[in-house]
Amino acid sequence: MMKTKKGFMLRSVAGRHVVVAIGQASVDFNGLITLNDTGAYIWERLAKGTTYEDLLKDMLSDYEVDEETAKSGIDAFLKTARDAELLDEN
Amino acid sequence: MRYNIAGIIVDMNVRFPRLKRQSAAYEYNGDRETNIKIRLTDRFFNEKLAENPHLDYEMIEYIWMGSEFYNALLHFNGMLLHSSCVVYEGKAYLFSAPCGTGKSTHTQIWLKQFPEAYILNDDKPAIRIAKDGIFACGTPFSGKTAQNVNSIVPIGGICILGRDTVNHIEPIDPDDALFNILNQTVRPPQEEDMDKLLATLDTVLRNVPVYRLYCNMEPEAAIVSYNGMKDKTKEG
Repeated sequence: MMKTKKGFMLRSVAGRHVVVAIGQASVDFNGLITLNDTGAYIWERLAKGTTYEDLLKDMLSDYEVDEETAKSGIDAFLKTARDAELLDEN
Repeated sequence: MRYNIAGIIVDMNVRFPRLKRQSAAYEYNGDRETNIKIRLTDRFFNEKLAENPHLDYEMIEYIWMGSEFYNALLHFNGMLLHSSCVVYEGKAYLFSAPCGTGKSTHTQIWLKQFPEAYILNDDKPAIRIAKDGIFACGTPFSGKTAQNVNSIVPIGGICILGRDTVNHIEPIDPDDALFNILNQTVRPPQEEDMDKLLATLDTVLRNVPVYRLYCNMEPEAAIVSYNGMKDKTKEG
């Protein structure tokens, strides 16, 4: 199961998807993450908690992409999110 | 004592000279209901003094009464923008940047260039969304200087300020300004308050023209800045 860490919220401001920190998370993270449409789509699913397989399945049914493209998109997003320590995984 | 700050009726127990002086112009004796009640207790003063030994009671009152006000402001379609706000020809122009960039220096150049211009708030103007537009509001909380006027003025532009040897100004996309503006307001730790802030910011950025100004300290800086922003409204 993968889930975004507690204390991050995704909102749309001025036509841009932004993630900001609240509560305890805002003590360590005072920045701003901006996401494109696909990024926001993945974030929304991760915020609820999902698995890699479910995420891939969702993307393949909601976007007209082949499996390889979907996977590389998800992988790139997950790498960035992991590097920034935004994910809880178990 | 009650005050009308940014159109909001605030009940504050002001005790010390600095805030008494700065809030005198905002005293309110009308019939409207109180919107925000702020009480700083003896215990609060002593806690803050212990945490911040370089401050005194007077500064603690000034800083934290302001901080309470700006937190509450989020619930009245409003937000703080750390900026120096100058009014000229009936429009408010807000210059925002990190400390030390020269916000106040720039608005002081406006005052020299345009004798009828005045400072609405030199450090912490309130922005409020109303039915008939988006307004900058003077408040008693104006940072290091006492420069503030109890007035509510439609916003002509918000400008992110940077330094350069030559003066130039250009309109920027709202999302381009987002990061700068979020860094020059107070981000509330509660989700509910953060939601209010982002909703207000969304409306502000969709309706108010935003610019990036690079300027020096010559008189021309005010002319370039004014010419770049006057008579403009949001496109689309």
